[in-house]
Amino acid sequence: MATTIIHKEVQNKPAKSKKGLQSQLIPWVFALPAMIPLIVFWIYPMIRSFWISLTDWDYISPTYTIVGLDNYVSLLQSDSFYQVLWNTFYFSAGTVIPTVLGGLLLAMLLVKHSKGFGIFRTILFSPWVTPTVAVSIVWSWIFEPEAGLANWLLSIFQVEGLPWTSSQTWAMPAIIIVTVWKGLGWSMIFYLNALKKIPVSLYEAASVDGASHFKKFLHISIPLVSPTTFFLIVVSTVEALQAYDQIQVMTQGGPAGSTRTLLYMYYQFAFEEFNMGKATALATVLVVITVILSLIQFVLAKKWVHYQ
Amino acid sequence: MTIHRLFSVTTKYILLTGLSIMMFFPFLWMVISSIKTKEEIWQFPPVWWPGDPQWGNFSEAWNMAPFGQYIVNSVGTALVIVVIQLINSAMIAYAFTQFRFIGRNIMFGLILASYMLPVAATYVPSYVILADLKLLDSYEGIILSNAVSVFGIFLLRQGFLQVPKDVVDAAKIDGANHWRILWRIFLPLTLPSFIAFGLISFVQNYNNYLWPTLIIKSEDKMLITQGIQQFFIQEGGYGMQWPLIMAASTFVILPLLVLFLFAQKWFVSGISDQGVKG
Repeated sequence: MATTIIHKEVQNKPAKSKKGLQSQLIPWVFALPAMIPLIVFWIYPMIRSFWISLTDWDYISPTYTIVGLDNYVSLLQSDSFYQVLWNTFYFSAGTVIPTVLGGLLLAMLLVKHSKGFGIFRTILFSPWVTPTVAVSIVWSWIFEPEAGLANWLLSIFQVEGLPWTSSQTWAMPAIIIVTVWKGLGWSMIFYLNALKKIPVSLYEAASVDGASHFKKFLHISIPLVSPTTFFLIVVSTVEALQAYDQIQVMTQGGPAGSTRTLLYMYYQFAFEEFNMGKATALATVLVVITVILSLIQFVLAKKWVHYQ
Repeated sequence: MTIHRLFSVTTKYILLTGLSIMMFFPFLWMVISSIKTKEEIWQFPPVWWPGDPQWGNFSEAWNMAPFGQYIVNSVGTALVIVVIQLINSAMIAYAFTQFRFIGRNIMFGLILASYMLPVAATYVPSYVILADLKLLDSYEGIILSNAVSVFGIFLLRQGFLQVPKDVVDAAKIDGANHWRILWRIFLPLTLPSFIAFGLISFVQNYNNYLWPTLIIKSEDKMLITQGIQQFFIQEGGYGMQWPLIMAASTFVILPLLVLFLFAQKWFVSGISDQGVKG
């Protein structure tokens, strides 16, 4: 008996240390198929992008010189950068506010389920799955100045037709309309989810106290969905900062640069002018704005937001 | 039901019907416009239904560019990407939920950081990497650069956290290894997360435009989003063939709407569970 036990222990020893090594190795084997592409195509490019922004690289020539912060300085000194910054702000505010507010209102209408509401939800959400490029083409036709549907709609209200995408004033609103149309259903789904989680007892208690619908909305619904609101504001702003497809299809950044956003300028610098240094400097600006937004969300979420 | 409540429900129906029609109208208008004649399309006020619907516009548009090829290219690359993302997301989600290991927190931090960062900022260096690997103008380039989905990792991790520990322990006692546990136990138990993520990722890849445009240059390899945009520019050159352009848009958009109609439950659950970017 004793010998067999010893024998077993001896046999177990190397097996055990092998197991210890294995228990460290197996998780890595499971993690690497995702971590390798993440590092190669996300993390490393982020760092490399910052490095390129300190050079005057033109993509074609193999050599480049380190120019320090010159790219940033020349950006900050050019008027077109401030116009692009303003356009980006205009576009972001113009899409995020109606998308988030509209999503909340739609969800308020749909949250108390009645017969047939599933169909409404499906229809309202459907634009989200369609390709931005293709629907932007459809909207270009709707915004056609001579025979488009948008101007027909205006004509009913005795408003003169607008030149839409060929005008510096109206091109941006046209692009904003398409973007809001596509994103509304998406934010509605988030709010539906959040509203459904609010305990009915809260509303009942408020009704007993004689609160009106509006008061209940203001003092119960709004505060309790605020985590969703913050999340949606940040995520859809990050999304707005990266809008490209609808701009490319509808205006190519024009007329006269009136719809050129940060990302569009980045694309032009990088893949039309091959000015990689300037392009990546813009990318850094984009990343900095995104990081600031994420931090604001993080801090505000901790301070104000009502968690259940 | 009180009169007040009846009134409010009726108002809701009216409002929602109106809003739904407005939201859906661009799709209807696209189809109606695609079967108009060249004369009808320019009439103002618009013709609501063409006198003689030009159903032939669809086949005419279809034959003007290799749309069938474009769609096959898009569906093919999107499917391969989805399969890769499902496998590697499941594996890393398994590692995060089932093991404590050196480097776990760093890895999780990197993934979290990538979640909020703008993808666009990676385009220049990623383009250079693909050029160095000689993968420009190839599907391999598109597939490799999209081989990981941070959203998928989060969604599956969320699902895996719900798997009861004793189920895993029982499987281990039965001698199952981790690979087997992942695909024989976790996959069936969290299948809804897999389906939701697979569908959403498929749609996102099928709809992707800017990044594939940078990589793919030869016509026969183009994806459908590039193909439709190119068709739009070309037809725009010859006095705007709007009926044909709308016909082409219809066969790009319609398959997605049909897919969505049948699978909307999964899209909704995938989005509510975790939060997908736009």
